[in-house]
Amino acid sequence: MSQETQFWKWPEYRYTEPDKDWRKAHIITAGIDIGSVGSKAAIMLDGELYAYSVMRTGGVSEATSVKAMEWALKDTGLKKEKIHYVVGTGYGRVNVPFASRTITEIACHARGAHYVYGPTVRTVLDVGGQDCKAIRCDEKGKVLSFLMNDKCAAGTGRGLEVFADLIGIPIQNLGEVSLQVEKDPPPVSNTCVVFAKAESLALLRQGWSKEKVAAAYHAAMADRIADLLARVGIEKEFVVTGGVSKNHGIIERLTRLLKIQPLEPNMDPILAGAIGAALFAKALQEKQLGLR
Amino acid sequence: MSEPFQKFRDWIDNRHEYAKEWKATRNRRIAGYFCTYVPEEILIAANVLPVRILGSHEPPTVTEPYVFAMFCHLCRDSLAQGLKGRFDYLDGIVEGQSCLHLRQAYNAWRLHIPIDYAFYIHVPHGVQTRHALPYYTEELRKFKRSLGEWTGRKITERDLARGINVMNRNRDLMHKIYEYRKPNNPKLTGLEAMEMVLSSQMVDKEDHNGALEELLKTLPSREMDRNPGVRLMIIGCEDDDRIFMKNVENLGATFVIDEHCTGSRYFWNLVDSSIQDRLVAIADRYISRIPCPSKDWPELTRIKQAVNLAQTYNVQGALVIQNKFCDPHGIEVPPLREELKAVGVPTYPLEFDVTVPWGQFRTRVEAFLETLTGLEELF
Repeated sequence: MSQETQFWKWPEYRYTEPDKDWRKAHIITAGIDIGSVGSKAAIMLDGELYAYSVMRTGGVSEATSVKAMEWALKDTGLKKEKIHYVVGTGYGRVNVPFASRTITEIACHARGAHYVYGPTVRTVLDVGGQDCKAIRCDEKGKVLSFLMNDKCAAGTGRGLEVFADLIGIPIQNLGEVSLQVEKDPPPVSNTCVVFAKAESLALLRQGWSKEKVAAAYHAAMADRIADLLARVGIEKEFVVTGGVSKNHGIIERLTRLLKIQPLEPNMDPILAGAIGAALFAKALQEKQLGLR
Repeated sequence: MSEPFQKFRDWIDNRHEYAKEWKATRNRRIAGYFCTYVPEEILIAANVLPVRILGSHEPPTVTEPYVFAMFCHLCRDSLAQGLKGRFDYLDGIVEGQSCLHLRQAYNAWRLHIPIDYAFYIHVPHGVQTRHALPYYTEELRKFKRSLGEWTGRKITERDLARGINVMNRNRDLMHKIYEYRKPNNPKLTGLEAMEMVLSSQMVDKEDHNGALEELLKTLPSREMDRNPGVRLMIIGCEDDDRIFMKNVENLGATFVIDEHCTGSRYFWNLVDSSIQDRLVAIADRYISRIPCPSKDWPELTRIKQAVNLAQTYNVQGALVIQNKFCDPHGIEVPPLREELKAVGVPTYPLEFDVTVPWGQFRTRVEAFLETLTGLEELF
């Protein structure tokens, strides 16, 4: 399949902070977040983000974790062996061969959101590839309660990938396209990706524009996510993490439904889980050194 | 010490082989039952072996023509075992009225699987009314008579006394073993407790009592070489998912108590042997037992029991299992969680089906355990 027709395929990327030097750091830690769709590696120097990579999770989680780590370290001169402590998280957390410990993505996203958005965060919505988590946390980023979607991938990134391919619009543009309607049409099914896809296909065949069908699909996703959030309860400040946080079509509809504006991130919120893991790694290393 | 619970595990793994051998060597009948409202005392009195019909947790493939797909997995999975011929040694089936789903499983079995004997006991739903006891007593009288006609042997008072004694002995022994779940490092895991109670529903109670008596000789001195971790409770309807129990206990936790109908609820109440009329005594036990939520109204007494157990067994958190489509239990989940929260016991809900998506559940259970204890020192 050519690149042009792979509408589901979101770009992979990496970054190194040019003003930071790992050689001057006391504690170097890493968090590896092996999600069901995307894998993220975050390298932190004394609790500050230094480098990261975001890539697709392959068929073998072990290999993906190694690739994500190596890509994050590319051209930095820093070797994996120099990292003091690595925490694995995400769906494939038990498959990170070089991690010293695993911690769930629930705890890591709350901790990471605290870093990305600041200490006022109390409700974190993480919309990932195949699940959706509503997390309540305290002023330290510690989880108080949480809920996850039940089994089906409706209302998650995987659903958006399926929909991007159906409609023939690159996934990065889907959210904007879905907003190009005057008023949202009735939503499609929000309990099953396959049903939602079948309904969307029927609407396209009825002559609905792609924008209108995209709006119906996004409205359904937003409804489902809002329902999950209502069950855990929303307290300010509210933030969104995970890949779907980049989709304005979802964020804008959630804002309308919940009547609450999520905070703007000051860094890539897809990294929250990996950052949280790296911060836990720092605490664990400090504990090992007798510093806490 | 060798594996003190191996016997129970073996009985579960080889339940059908056990039943076939039992039947061949004793030349007696076996009756399958669906719900714990069937009084096993009377079956034992009739020299019939009662065995509980349960599922196998394989993806369902054969029940669709007989049971609505939106009925609970217990009824579909149980019926599937019959349709696949795994209970082909049964001479009869008995159901004690509890919910529509199990009634459908019973009726589908009766209509579509060759069976010599089928009896439906009309256990009253309004167990909290004064009419329940006389009504149920009369139902049991009919059941006793019917069993006598089927086996060709009248059930005597002495037979009933034997049925009561062996059942009460079994319950009493399991109570004693549950006491060993109370210490800081329990002498048995939740999985072992589940295997003990489950197997009691599959084998001759005399055999089971023998194994329990043996176990009680060695259990007090048993040294556990595992860190018990978080003290958990599991609450729900029918729950025989041993893989789930094992997996959770491998995450740094121990189930120290349960409240579900394949666990404590099955054996918690004894027949009051001071009641002269033995049928009344048996009926009284089932009317006043810890109830299934299908009968637990207007007062929600089962929730009080769950709270009491949580406190007595000093639990740190509870997993609330909801079998998909089990409405009676589902209705009770919100007040149950509220009552437990009020006494400081956090809960987490999980929805079970025929098979359990362990990958997803693992994340939830681990995260729940992290909120209970795990990460405090890392903030």
